[in-house]
Amino acid sequence: MIGIIDYGMGNLLSVKNAVEYLGFEAEIITDSNKLSEYQRLILPGVGAFPECIKNITQKGFVNTLNQEVLEKKKPILGICLGMQVMASIGNEGERVNGLGWFDAEVELMVPNDKKCRIPHVGWSETMCKEHDLFSGIKITPEFYFVHSYHFNCKHEKEVIATFNHGGSFTAAIAKNNIIGYQFHPEKSQEHGLIVLNNFITKSFN
Amino acid sequence: MVKRRLIPKLLLKLVQFGSLKRMVLVTTVHYDKAVNVGDPVSQAKIYEAQSADELIFLDIDSSVENREIVIDIIRKVSEEIFMPITIGGGVKDVDDFRLFLSNGADKVAINTYAVKTPDLITQASKKFGAQCVVVGIDYKKMHGGYKVFIDGGKEETEYDPLIWAKECEKLGAGEILLTNIDNDGVGEGMDVDMISMVTKQINIPVIASGGCGLASHFIQGFNAGADAVSAGTFFCFKDQSPIQTRAHIANAGIPIRLHK
Amino acid sequence: MELKRCTKCITPETHETIMFNDKGICNVCDNIAIKENIDWVSKKKDLDQLIEHYRGKYDYDCLVPFSGGKDSTWALYYLVKHYKIKPLVVRFDHGFLRPNIEENTKRTLRKLGVDFHHFTPNWNVVKKLMLQAFLEKGDFCWHCHTGISSYPMQVAINYNVPLIFWGEPSAEYTAYYSYDQPEEVDEKKFNRCGANLGISADDMLVRFRGDLDPRDVKPYSYPPLKDLRKIGYRSVCLGSYIPWDVKKQSKIIQDELGWKGDEVENVPTQYTYEKIECYMQGVRDYIKFIKRGYTRPTHLASIDIRNNRMEREEALKMIKEYEGKKPKSLQIFLDFVGLTEKEFYDVALSHAVSPWEFDMDSTKEESKKMKDFDAWFKGEGLTREETEVLLNRL
Repeated sequence: MIGIIDYGMGNLLSVKNAVEYLGFEAEIITDSNKLSEYQRLILPGVGAFPECIKNITQKGFVNTLNQEVLEKKKPILGICLGMQVMASIGNEGERVNGLGWFDAEVELMVPNDKKCRIPHVGWSETMCKEHDLFSGIKITPEFYFVHSYHFNCKHEKEVIATFNHGGSFTAAIAKNNIIGYQFHPEKSQEHGLIVLNNFITKSFN
Repeated sequence: MVKRRLIPKLLLKLVQFGSLKRMVLVTTVHYDKAVNVGDPVSQAKIYEAQSADELIFLDIDSSVENREIVIDIIRKVSEEIFMPITIGGGVKDVDDFRLFLSNGADKVAINTYAVKTPDLITQASKKFGAQCVVVGIDYKKMHGGYKVFIDGGKEETEYDPLIWAKECEKLGAGEILLTNIDNDGVGEGMDVDMISMVTKQINIPVIASGGCGLASHFIQGFNAGADAVSAGTFFCFKDQSPIQTRAHIANAGIPIRLHK
Repeated sequence: MELKRCTKCITPETHETIMFNDKGICNVCDNIAIKENIDWVSKKKDLDQLIEHYRGKYDYDCLVPFSGGKDSTWALYYLVKHYKIKPLVVRFDHGFLRPNIEENTKRTLRKLGVDFHHFTPNWNVVKKLMLQAFLEKGDFCWHCHTGISSYPMQVAINYNVPLIFWGEPSAEYTAYYSYDQPEEVDEKKFNRCGANLGISADDMLVRFRGDLDPRDVKPYSYPPLKDLRKIGYRSVCLGSYIPWDVKKQSKIIQDELGWKGDEVENVPTQYTYEKIECYMQGVRDYIKFIKRGYTRPTHLASIDIRNNRMEREEALKMIKEYEGKKPKSLQIFLDFVGLTEKEFYDVALSHAVSPWEFDMDSTKEESKKMKDFDAWFKGEGLTREETEVLLNRL
């Protein structure tokens, strides 16, 4: 059973629909104490970093998330803003702390090519490293991105995919059981469904 | 860099079917003369299979009474399709935004109320992120220049589309959906001059719409600078699908997603 | 005008899904190259397993959608002879079957010994659908495409026969799927490849706005996925498991089943095995030429070039001779749908695919009469009144 965390921000319905379409069961979690009941967790997110971390904190998810993810090593997938809040610091509007699971800062994208507009919205080619999460994809995939801020990760080996938009930016991260996709797999048609399926089925140590 | 996008435009209208009323998809000409073309959920599934990049649904009745039906359609659509959906039509406040975004929509398009209460653009952008806010700008050639029209093309405003587009960007819009009403449904080409002017002067993405009748028209729109081209009539009345049109566009050297 | 064509075969830029690489070679040619690298031995093993999985468990081991043409005849022959399965053979009658194909069908069915389920939909509905599809999509074959794809699936559910074998994979002629992509023949493929012209049966009802009884479009409706999943359906192409070679296969069915080819309107006489089952094929091909500037001879020659049976120069000469002729059957079509010849050209021209521009003055002489022309059923078409209702919709 996959648990999709509802902290008041995020396209929960689309994520749930995608997981169910793939043949798995999914539930929306509103009670932070119930996280332990699920085998894998998804943290979606649409909106702004400060509001996101504020909501997660106020709804009581921080402690239980740290428990399930850092101590019990439960696989978790952060999508878009859900991935960004896993960083240590966010700089969207105001400088605030994130969940701190990655040594990274979320910053405004500044492309070095004027033709690259912000927000970065649309389908971008994504250069994927060799990883279980991309198994089944035979060509350079294109995923749907929609964001203005990017995940600047200090440790390169935690970045498992990048995209180019007037510079190279993080498209996906992975550190053992903690996974993040900057793009929306539930909005990326076939390839999106493949990488979502891989998160649900592969093992992460 | 992102690929250019192909976005089918799906116009929703409540129509009489014998003794029943049914929400169907229609096409228009100059924002008039609605012709039935299909069922919203069926067409969404077809476009998903044909690898459209996104879908835009516009409720052209824009009536509050139909809100429930529109929500129901968006919910059904998002159960079976996995690409971004924009919904618009009569959106007047932040609550409307929240209603659509929590029922399957990824972006919300505003048009009339962006003009009437421009602060809505800023409020929505702050609350939900600029990427959720699409401002639709409909315009016609009038009095030797161009004028923005609201209320489904019925009411003329004093705004010039280019100036209004720049203003919308300042107010926090994420994208502009730019439609030339004179070209709507006619199939004789896009307004490449306006597309070129607007895309040169603003930095947010522009979805150009109105006038596609051949694959080459899409190419003209992209070459004029559009980040995306949206078409309604084209896919309903031509022996063309997004997969086929995409191939034509790629053959012209424009970076577009290929369907594999 | 001259169209840009693949530098290897001669398929032009107006062909659906075509893309050219920097050598000017098209993606259909590329796709065929993948075919040569497929591990057909392993695929054959998959086929063996698939068939054994379903054998003997249902009233029929599988369902074979059948037209009587070379591909479905070959598929049926192969499955019965090689695997000795008990199939349910299902044919959806589009309304224009030619005498030779009826004879071929009878002979094939009797020689192989199989149960045959034949369905003919209501002609009064068919002629309306033909006109509607022609007007709005430039292709009058909607009822046939959708019927052939959907009706057998309904039969599979009704008779509880979950395994369905189609013939050649679409990758043989187009690039909707690549040869190494698994091609399940499901609703998504149906929608993707445009067989329904982007219009489902439900959409068609909306376009007719209550002028059609929903029951009248049932034969053209693809069943809901949940109903198909309930019977545990597997709908696949035989051509995904065994390499498809139309020339070789046609010869085998001629020798083993006495299958006979036929001459076809505006197609070179050496191709007697292609599209022989429909007497509206000539009109269909002509419309394609008006819209896209090429038609069946290009398609056939390109296949031959890819299989090293023809040189490119020879192909180009051949299509100049055969393409663009007005078919003798045109008047039959006009009578069916109640259109004048001028209206026909106006409609076809409105669906042109850029950059092709059909030159009205270049309309060549009419093609010769086919031998069975007099036996083709004519008349009982739409009244002018009925036609005008549809013309006035837009």
